[in-house]
Amino acid sequence: MEATMQVTVVQALLIALWVAGVMSRALLGGATTTMRFTPMMTGLVVGVVFGRVADAMVVTAAIQLIYMGVFSPGGQMPSEPAIAAAVAVPVSLLSGQSAESAIAVAVPVGLLGSYLYQLRFFVNTLVMSRMADDAANNADSAKLSFAIIGMPIIIAFIIFVPFMFVALYFGVPVISSIVSSASGTIIFHVLETIGGGLASIGIAVTVYAIGKKNYVAFFLLAYFMSTILSSLNVTMITYAVVGMLIAFIYILVKNETVEMVGTGAGGSSVADDDDDDY
Amino acid sequence: MAEAIQTAQAEEQAAPVDYANYQPEEITKKDVALAWLRFYFADEIPHCFDKYIAPALTWALMPILKKLYKRKEDLAAAYQRHLLFFNTAIAWGGGTITGITAALEVARAKELTSGLPITVDDDLIYNTKAGLMGALAGIGDSIDSGTVQYIFIAIALPWAQEGSALGALFPFIGFSLYQLIIGYYFAQLGFGLGRSAANELVGSKMQGVIEALSILGLFMMGVLAASYVTVSSPLAFTLSGKEFVIQDILDSILPGLLPLVTVSAVYLYFVKKGLNVTKALLGLTVILGVLAAVGIL
Repeated sequence: MEATMQVTVVQALLIALWVAGVMSRALLGGATTTMRFTPMMTGLVVGVVFGRVADAMVVTAAIQLIYMGVFSPGGQMPSEPAIAAAVAVPVSLLSGQSAESAIAVAVPVGLLGSYLYQLRFFVNTLVMSRMADDAANNADSAKLSFAIIGMPIIIAFIIFVPFMFVALYFGVPVISSIVSSASGTIIFHVLETIGGGLASIGIAVTVYAIGKKNYVAFFLLAYFMSTILSSLNVTMITYAVVGMLIAFIYILVKNETVEMVGTGAGGSSVADDDDDDY
Repeated sequence: MAEAIQTAQAEEQAAPVDYANYQPEEITKKDVALAWLRFYFADEIPHCFDKYIAPALTWALMPILKKLYKRKEDLAAAYQRHLLFFNTAIAWGGGTITGITAALEVARAKELTSGLPITVDDDLIYNTKAGLMGALAGIGDSIDSGTVQYIFIAIALPWAQEGSALGALFPFIGFSLYQLIIGYYFAQLGFGLGRSAANELVGSKMQGVIEALSILGLFMMGVLAASYVTVSSPLAFTLSGKEFVIQDILDSILPGLLPLVTVSAVYLYFVKKGLNVTKALLGLTVILGVLAAVGIL
């Protein structure tokens, strides 16, 4: 058992480089949004590095649930799902425990990760920001490019690579053996319960952020519909189509009502104005 | 830095420059497309406290600014004015504002080099950006990051639970392309319409789209809550020889009651106390953990 609970130098380094690439926001630029906000891509990369993609995806799906709906209003994240997955998925793979065990590791690591991202902000402010001002004052385009793109990437790699390497190479084996010795205790029931309930946070954030209180009726409609139909295994795509139709019908009815009120009489002009609705 | 810009302007007024040799090049849709791609790439790479993502916008506009301002002092002033605090959501805000700012800079360069009084001044450019960035970020965050992204994830999550790599690849590729494409559309819209693009975005046509997306978003969140929030009670007790299982009783009243109560409680917490996600995360972890440890959940 002990022998299997090891992370090789190459494995730790590859995952550390991946995380630094994502957290520097430079790996395909804006495409890092999904890589940072959700643990899915990091989980896949961990799976590839450990040669256990299928297992890794199952664990990552469980971690995704606690980050359901998490995004960063204004650029600040309460937790970093990618960093959480980079540590929690290897722990789950090595300890051979249920996906729920990954959640216990993911929550604190994700919170810690958000402090690292703050550190990146801070160092960027000290180093990059001044360098950019200086280059702009002299209209030095090459230096300005380096200050805006090159410098922050270097800073991110200096912050994230050593931290992630140490966490993976030294931390993961230790956490794995603790997790595996705690298996079967009440701790796992507690973790399972927390993991099942935390998905409510992200969902509540989104409902709050969409910010149309009366429209909560649509949330409740879908909630009860999908609870009632749960035995039918309706796919998410089907629900998305139904949701689109409901939204379309609502807007249609609303616009026609506005027009009827506006013209003071029946909706004779409705047909002409149809394209204007969308 | 504001002082530096003022000095540059004061110098211009003091000694009029002969712009015959400094005429701007024409800016085409291609330049705007490149600026958008550059913004999409740079986005949050230069994230920092004092400027937020202003350096990304500056970097996005650099090729356009270099074509417009052939005189070093003017180019420096242009770089300086875009390094002031700026923050928005990538596609709705970033796309639109990249396009609008490019249009404003074209107008400014024209005025500057033909010796006209400058009506498109620093304040106008900055106020246009500042006026739009918050409103568009609000739409972008809740519609894109909060809703569209999670629709992609919701569709793919069952695949991940079965162990398929598609569970990760589908939302990543789908959402990245979605943002790239709508951002391109907004950038061209912003460039074509200039400042009136703002009216277009808050106009009735777009309001309909935003409203429909809000409804779809809330609807999908309802489906997600029902599918993925699992709170149940293992409590059971025997009363005069008859066994009562709490969860069975709850299900016979209203199926899915406990998950709904959990989501509602968090939502009401945000309504009452404001959006503090970390507190909610820690608070709910402790509450659920204690209830699970004593056997209620």
